[in-house]
Amino acid sequence: MGEPELFTVGGFALALDRGYQPVTHMWVLARGRRRVRVGMDALGVETSGSLAQLSFAPAGTGLTAGQPFGQLEAAKFVGPLVSPISGVVLVVNDAVVTDAGLVQRDPYGAGWMIEASLTDDGLTDDGLTDDGLAGEPLATASVELPDLLADPGEVTAWFAAKVADYRLKGLIAQ
Amino acid sequence: MVEPLRPAAGPLRVLDFGRTSPLRSQTLWHAIGYGVSAGAPATLSFTRPAAPYVCLGYHGALDEVDLEYCRAQGLPVLRRMVGGGTVYLDADQLFFQISLPAGAVPPARAQALRSLLGPVVTAFRSVGVPAALDGELEICVGDRKICGHGAGQIEDAVVVCGNLIERFDHERAARVLALAGPEQREQTVALMQRFVAATPVDAAAFQAAMVSAFADALGLRAVPGELTPTERTALADLDIRFSNDRWLAGPVRPLAGGGAGPRARRVKVRAGVWTLASRQDGAQVTASVVRGKVDRVRLRAGESDWPARQAELAVTGMPWGSVADVLARFGDPGRRLAAAFSAAGPETL
Repeated sequence: MGEPELFTVGGFALALDRGYQPVTHMWVLARGRRRVRVGMDALGVETSGSLAQLSFAPAGTGLTAGQPFGQLEAAKFVGPLVSPISGVVLVVNDAVVTDAGLVQRDPYGAGWMIEASLTDDGLTDDGLTDDGLAGEPLATASVELPDLLADPGEVTAWFAAKVADYRLKGLIAQ
Repeated sequence: MVEPLRPAAGPLRVLDFGRTSPLRSQTLWHAIGYGVSAGAPATLSFTRPAAPYVCLGYHGALDEVDLEYCRAQGLPVLRRMVGGGTVYLDADQLFFQISLPAGAVPPARAQALRSLLGPVVTAFRSVGVPAALDGELEICVGDRKICGHGAGQIEDAVVVCGNLIERFDHERAARVLALAGPEQREQTVALMQRFVAATPVDAAAFQAAMVSAFADALGLRAVPGELTPTERTALADLDIRFSNDRWLAGPVRPLAGGGAGPRARRVKVRAGVWTLASRQDGAQVTASVVRGKVDRVRLRAGESDWPARQAELAVTGMPWGSVADVLARFGDPGRRLAAAFSAAGPETL
């Protein structure tokens, strides 16, 4: 899987090959049929502060959209990482557990957090291996994620609005 | 710019638990976190541990604690759900916790922390301590930290806790830590004495000032309160969870480099101030780092004719990022020591 093409929106990097959960700033990238990679977008990373520690539910743990799948510590503040999907954790990215700064340096690439299989009506998909769809836009990867923004135009508009809102509130630098 | 705290509904509940057991000095306020998440009002609570103990931050590694020493001394070891490092707590420290619905604080963590620590600074100033919140979100007088703090989200509540340090046992605070040896212990104690200070003010006056400062910041009326039924249930659950060895072990962490290569022991004293002990192929380094520069260093290369003193002088005062390059000029032992330094990671973690 190559490096994602990044665009700059409001001064922050944004990848348009994936879906975004607009409240939590988590992204979801198709890695195969019903297999996804999950990480945090650059704006979510920025508002988290300097990342010190990350921990995740281990492989095999069930995920529920809207529920925590791990914890993030920044500035001595421990808060939940909220899953954008329901499914099962397949792989944890040990590299970011060892070096949380990797998420800041490369949020859309090497700084991914977990890979998971998606559930359908509570059932786990058996096809857990990568089937060549990795990196394809969500819309063509047979992955339906109703609460995610995936259309590049919608994603860009949402992200730009968030940057402007956070700047207005002083949550990020002008 | 500090975004103000948003007014929460209801009064500011104030709970003073007085002296509590080490376990309850943690579980009581965690239970309040669950209570506030379930709808209890914003709460400011106080507790003072009746006996000393050691507490790890949520992500702290258990092997950072000298468990054998703690067992021999009868010191309980607990793990909290909020962040920060491993700390020594005793009856000379008054602990406070502010618990708010998550929606009442700014969504950006650093902003939330700055907003929630602001009233603490106000309270210190009200009792005559010229405290300030520095750029690294430490409450300080000059460059000495006077208040340890940690923060976290418990379900839908945000909790920030901290302490008034009336007296601080620097030696014991370092002794409970598992360190690489006497050199690192001595350097750690020295940095603690230099950068962590007690403020022996009247605790009751500080407590009253805290209540006033948080009531003003939140625009709420402070009223004494008691635990809700939800919190009492949570307390019983937390007493069990926090006594469990699995909880104490903490989140699973992979070994750096798969367990291969040099291992470094790094101890943070306050933001920007830490000690390091590391070894690589027989070369050993013990160092103190202050504000990004090597403040003090002891090098051992395992070779009697290697100019250790000369290398130590060359490295002392150097920016952290330049140390490896400087040591590389001292031959193979210098390169091994550079690798040992590098094992500690970047200057800021």
